[in-house]
Amino acid sequence: MVLIGFLILAPLVFAALLLAVRNNKARKVIVCAGAALVAAGSLVLVCLGTGTRGIMFTFYSPVVDYVCMALSVLIAVCILVFGFRYRNVASIVLALVQVIGSLVFEIAFAHSIVITECLYVDSLSLVMTFIIGVVGTGICVYALGYMDDFQAHEPEGAPDRRPLFFALMFAFLSAMYLIVFSNNMLWFFTGWEITTLCSFLLIGYTRTDEAIRNAFRQIIMNLIGGIAFLVALYAMAITFGTLSLNELIVVGQAYPALVSLPVCALAIAGITKAAQMPFHTWLLGAMVAPTPTSALLHSSTMVKAGVFLLVKLAPLFAVCPVPSIMTVLVGGFTFVLCSFMAISQSNAKRVLAYSTIANLGLIVACAGVGTPQAVWAAVFLILFHAIAKSLLFLCVGTAEHHIGSRDIEDMDLLFQRMPRLARFMMFGIMVMFIAPFGMLMAKWATLVSFIYAGQVALIVLLAFGSAATFMFWAKWLGKLSGIAGSPQNVERTVHRSEWFALWLMVALGVAACVAMPAISTFYVEPYLLGVYGAFGQDIAETNLWLASLCSIAVIVVLFAGVGRKGTAKQAPVYLAGVSADNGQRVFRNSLSGQTEAASRNLYLDELFGEGRIRRVGEAVCALLICVAFVGCLAGMPILF
Amino acid sequence: MDLFYVLVGTVVFAVGGPVLGCLLAGIDRKVTARMQGRVGPSLLQPYYDVRKLLEKDRVAVNSSEEVYVATALVFTLLAGGIFFSGGNLLLCVFVVTLSALFFIVAAWCTRSPYAEVGASRETLQVMAYEPMVLFMAIGYALGIASMTGFLSFDVRAAFYMPAPVILSNVLVFAGLLFVLTIKLRKSPFDLSYSHHAHQELVKGVTTEMSGRTLAMVEIIHWCENVLFLGWVGLFFIWNSAASILLALAVVAAVYFLEIWIDNNFARVKWQAMLKGAWVVALVAGVVNIGAFVVL
Repeated sequence: MVLIGFLILAPLVFAALLLAVRNNKARKVIVCAGAALVAAGSLVLVCLGTGTRGIMFTFYSPVVDYVCMALSVLIAVCILVFGFRYRNVASIVLALVQVIGSLVFEIAFAHSIVITECLYVDSLSLVMTFIIGVVGTGICVYALGYMDDFQAHEPEGAPDRRPLFFALMFAFLSAMYLIVFSNNMLWFFTGWEITTLCSFLLIGYTRTDEAIRNAFRQIIMNLIGGIAFLVALYAMAITFGTLSLNELIVVGQAYPALVSLPVCALAIAGITKAAQMPFHTWLLGAMVAPTPTSALLHSSTMVKAGVFLLVKLAPLFAVCPVPSIMTVLVGGFTFVLCSFMAISQSNAKRVLAYSTIANLGLIVACAGVGTPQAVWAAVFLILFHAIAKSLLFLCVGTAEHHIGSRDIEDMDLLFQRMPRLARFMMFGIMVMFIAPFGMLMAKWATLVSFIYAGQVALIVLLAFGSAATFMFWAKWLGKLSGIAGSPQNVERTVHRSEWFALWLMVALGVAACVAMPAISTFYVEPYLLGVYGAFGQDIAETNLWLASLCSIAVIVVLFAGVGRKGTAKQAPVYLAGVSADNGQRVFRNSLSGQTEAASRNLYLDELFGEGRIRRVGEAVCALLICVAFVGCLAGMPILF
Repeated sequence: MDLFYVLVGTVVFAVGGPVLGCLLAGIDRKVTARMQGRVGPSLLQPYYDVRKLLEKDRVAVNSSEEVYVATALVFTLLAGGIFFSGGNLLLCVFVVTLSALFFIVAAWCTRSPYAEVGASRETLQVMAYEPMVLFMAIGYALGIASMTGFLSFDVRAAFYMPAPVILSNVLVFAGLLFVLTIKLRKSPFDLSYSHHAHQELVKGVTTEMSGRTLAMVEIIHWCENVLFLGWVGLFFIWNSAASILLALAVVAAVYFLEIWIDNNFARVKWQAMLKGAWVVALVAGVVNIGAFVVL
């Protein structure tokens, strides 16, 4: 328990330190030390907790309650200040609703409800601890080098907000730890709101018009989610007189009709935070922020808090039909539609964002199905997505600073211009979408769990979504792999801290893919045993090991097989004319002039363009959410 | 133990697959020639062609292309090994897709405009057939489940069934036949790499491949044909020795049908292929798999 306290508080201490220190060298030392300490603490906890089915800690402190209350007021004040400064009415109204709601709640209920076991650890929170503590801190280290370059690219005289930036990164980690260890929903909610505020400030980091606009879109959508969370708190307090997450799950499994409303409200909160349609636009807007922010939001924090909550609630979805159908369909549609839209994008960060939303959709759908098999798949999707997505974001960030563009079309010849980085990026892409790597193995488990649950709609959505996934990743992979001429190697100036983080993500990716069967045995299955009393792995052990062997083979090919100097005679590429300059694809045309052959990837805009698909998806998902919420609300009076 | 079977299966398939596939290609050329009123080459002509390719000087745009193609070949053999040793059908499908990806990247790494067009089209083809191929595996597993009560993707399970899975999978099978034309690279769906010179843009995916690399591509194609026809036959297998004969007869009929289609339809645009394959998959998937769940 001391360790849990350490993990929640240590990042906060470092955040305060970073806010105070303005010297760049000192900051580097503090960030590295903080990252190392937090990562070490996380690893120790993960090792100590191996195989645990869940431990509750008897810990209650009114002081923490008051701190939480003070924090919610502080958050609201902060949002109000920004709302007034930039004249954003919607955010002011929502923040007021939320702060009044939570203060009334504190006064009316919170003090009459005493929860003796406020903290807990189970294998799911261990997996999350690993993601936050290792992937999250890795991104913080990466940000050191990146932010130096970023600041250098800023116009002369631009204010240096790096102290705030790093403080927010660490505060984010602390809030995430609070979320994954809190059994007290009030504490959970505080962590939840801190992540919302931190990402608001991080997205608006550059203070450009676009950044401010997108930051407000984020805060408005997530305040809606926050209010839904508050509704759930009210419903829990009124119906059960408890705020314990564990009790909610235990009681809910016995009396599903009672928990319908809180589960539905929490599901909506989770859906907004996990950027599902119709709330997906905030995550797309979030990419105006510096790349480490995107990496953090997409991989180890923020959106993962949303899916973490939904996965925690999975046993309740298995018994509550209305919230379950809502969650399943919103997740399923988001998966397939965002995969389609990703095909039409050439901006690398936008492709990554759509892919994140799509994969979160799959995780949300798994949680909504709520069977042990589906949860098994969801946990692995979370793990692999966190690792691969942070690797990809960091790669794109570094590439952007060195080739001056984040457009996939400009990544031509990256295989030679940044040989190591291109291989890392290719590895990350492969982990995301192709067997034998983790994401696809998890998708396989997802598919099987959908079949067991008889979810025909989800099976169909998964099949078409996966096909689209192949398309947009494969063409990016192809673009990266091109080899021609001998362009200049521009990766020599990449910062050491960036290489460290990139290597870390690659190592994690390799380890997770190879050790997948072991992770299942020691972490995922114990969680399922604790919650359901049943195993969830529906892929035979043999097939997992076979996949893990294949992963090794592919990794060897990628890192040792390709790109070397061969013994074959080298020939120019065929250009339907005599080649003038093969590297530039210039050939001599029929008039003896020179013509350059150009080719672009397919984007199939007329079929998969954003315009049409987005409107349909938002309408369908918004309708689903409204109907489900009204249905649950209407079902409540019958209970009293 | 299962891993051992897969290993043995892969070794056997590495020898048997190319031999069978080569003969199949020879028969294909004979039948095609007869349909066009020609005599056609000898049955072993595909073998002579590949042997000649293997003896050529090694000339390449870069050295990576060959590595990618070799990797694709290895994974094709593994997919065959998984299937013919009675392993998991889904895993087999995924490994075939992995092999397809390496083949695509091999074309892309040359950075030749024509190969890139071929690679883009090959990617489109994968996207077009992938949903239906997944539905095929799901339909098979649900067919097994409807007879035994246990969901199983294992190919060997078919041999213990009282009846073939085709009985409950008519629509899925029809859908499989539709996308089979894409997978076997037959016209009208041979967008990325065609054997018909008159409708090809230079040489599609294989534009920059020659000698040993091109020979490997040909061998991959042979092995894939055998594997995909194996999927077709699987639907007609049950707990009876006669079923194997039936399956072989069906496979022969299906292959003849594919050759006939190949010779009678001109290449279509990618839009038509994608929409066609997805509509077929949607109907077959929703109706047939929906029927399993409802009934």
